[in-house]
Amino acid sequence: MTTAVKSFRWGRTIRIWVGALACLTFLFPIIWMVLTSFKQQTDIFTSPPTFIFAPTLIHYLEGIRPAEVPHRLLNTVIVAVGSGLLSVVAGAMAGYALARIKIRGAGTIGVLMLLSRGVPPVALAVPMFLVARKLGLTDKHITLILAYCTFLIPYVMWLMRGFFLALPKELEEAAMIDGCSRLGAFFRIIVPISLPALLSTLIASMILAWEELLFALVLTNRNASTIPIAMAGIAQDTVNGANWGALTAVGTITVVPVVVFALLVQKWLIQGMADGATKG
Amino acid sequence: MTTETTTYRERRVRSLAFARIGDFASRWTFMLPAAIIMIAMLAYPISYMTQISFSRFDLMTFSPGEWVGWDNYAKVLADYRFWSSLRVTAVYLVFALPLQIILGFGIAYLIHAEWRGRGLIRGLFIIPMVVAPVVAGGIWRMMLDPLWGIANYFLGFFGIGPFDWFGDPNLAMASVVIIDTWRWTPFIVLIASAALLSLPRDVFEAAEIDGANWWQMLCYIALPLLAPIIAATFVVRWLGAVKMFDIVLSATLGGPGAATKVINLFIYEEAFRSLRFAESSAMAVLVLVGTTILTGIFLWGSRRLENEP
Repeated sequence: MTTAVKSFRWGRTIRIWVGALACLTFLFPIIWMVLTSFKQQTDIFTSPPTFIFAPTLIHYLEGIRPAEVPHRLLNTVIVAVGSGLLSVVAGAMAGYALARIKIRGAGTIGVLMLLSRGVPPVALAVPMFLVARKLGLTDKHITLILAYCTFLIPYVMWLMRGFFLALPKELEEAAMIDGCSRLGAFFRIIVPISLPALLSTLIASMILAWEELLFALVLTNRNASTIPIAMAGIAQDTVNGANWGALTAVGTITVVPVVVFALLVQKWLIQGMADGATKG
Repeated sequence: MTTETTTYRERRVRSLAFARIGDFASRWTFMLPAAIIMIAMLAYPISYMTQISFSRFDLMTFSPGEWVGWDNYAKVLADYRFWSSLRVTAVYLVFALPLQIILGFGIAYLIHAEWRGRGLIRGLFIIPMVVAPVVAGGIWRMMLDPLWGIANYFLGFFGIGPFDWFGDPNLAMASVVIIDTWRWTPFIVLIASAALLSLPRDVFEAAEIDGANWWQMLCYIALPLLAPIIAATFVVRWLGAVKMFDIVLSATLGGPGAATKVINLFIYEEAFRSLRFAESSAMAVLVLVGTTILTGIFLWGSRRLENEP
């Protein structure tokens, strides 16, 4: 009896240690990035690598100046908020239609939406660039916002469809009997009670838009350039050698806001990623 | 008398028709915003790209010129670089996806227990997934640096290395797989943990009483029960992995040579560096068709697994 309990406890302790070790392993690169961003140049290039150093802000103040971080941060915020809001409105409405309104071809639309998540973005980037150039729309925020909708709308649609399916039907039926139109019932009854879900979806969508690189590379130049482009530029810059101070500083600036938001909506984020394939 | 009934009937038919149109409109208003954006930004570009892929592309006017039939496709299919980048992509997929799924489910199985820190671990495990892929590539480029990187330093403790991670073609591919695996394994651990919690406990208890050992329980009970979720996880990762671009761009730039030039990066360079839009459109069409077919097959397969009792 006692041995059984003991071995059970041991198993438990081992499990906890394995979990902690895995956690540390997966978090280490991020910790290392943040540490490096506060190091002097001489502390970055030491062997063996050092964990104890006199912190400095030099990379944040000087090193990242060529990367035009404030300008790009502002662009990224504009594009992330714009595409997030647009796709949540459009996607939630479409998701509601798929969940509640019997539309002929709803099944086809659902399958198309799912398949569209497998479209490699480079297959869209080429024609989008050519069309945008033709219409004089390159390097504009609106172009990037619309481009991001191509992957955000199916994502929101799928997530919100699942959410609406779980809501009791009586809510909007009662409203529609009382003379509300379908659209009125949606905006007056459904939207207010779905606000937490919509907000979480919005944050998750903004995170996806925040990190996007390919469309931004192709469709922007200077004016609407986003923060991942700065990161790619520094990482690729082999002429000036390894500028790790700027690399990690820009990386930290890119990652920290996302991590904060992600922790706020963690449950929803995982579900959104998983649901695309598991439900429907 | 008869005329009156006809008009009544006509009116009724007409009002029914109006009601039906109104109803149709009110149903489709919900679809309209999404449909407009998706047609303008997804369907139209794809059809325009298909048109370009069958034409000569005129760089002066920046638009597709005369129709050349399958010429661009023939050119692309004869290009060894196209096949090489497809092979690179396949190697990446074949190594990265199974590795991530095995590691993810393995870690979840190892740490599967009820304890207080679970919520905290879940919160921490979500972090690598939300690190922008371009940043992930950048950090690892620094950590895997042959001279100053901390990876070689750690490996030195075990007497391994030092490795020239980005200089050797195989190691460069390995580093791309490592970076991608680092970013996605925690996410799979989270999904797998949730799946393990949802497994029926009495089956395991019954097996334990019958004298099944740990390995038998894993192979004959846990894995078959988990199969649908493993398949679904595979589909999710597949959908992400076919978009592989950012990590390669920031970590290896496709190098050394073209050892890590995945198809997305190759098409990107052909289009925007070499300005060969017709050929790159043809490649994009081929890749699009290929991925769509494979995605369809995987989705179908995962659904089937799920619906089987």
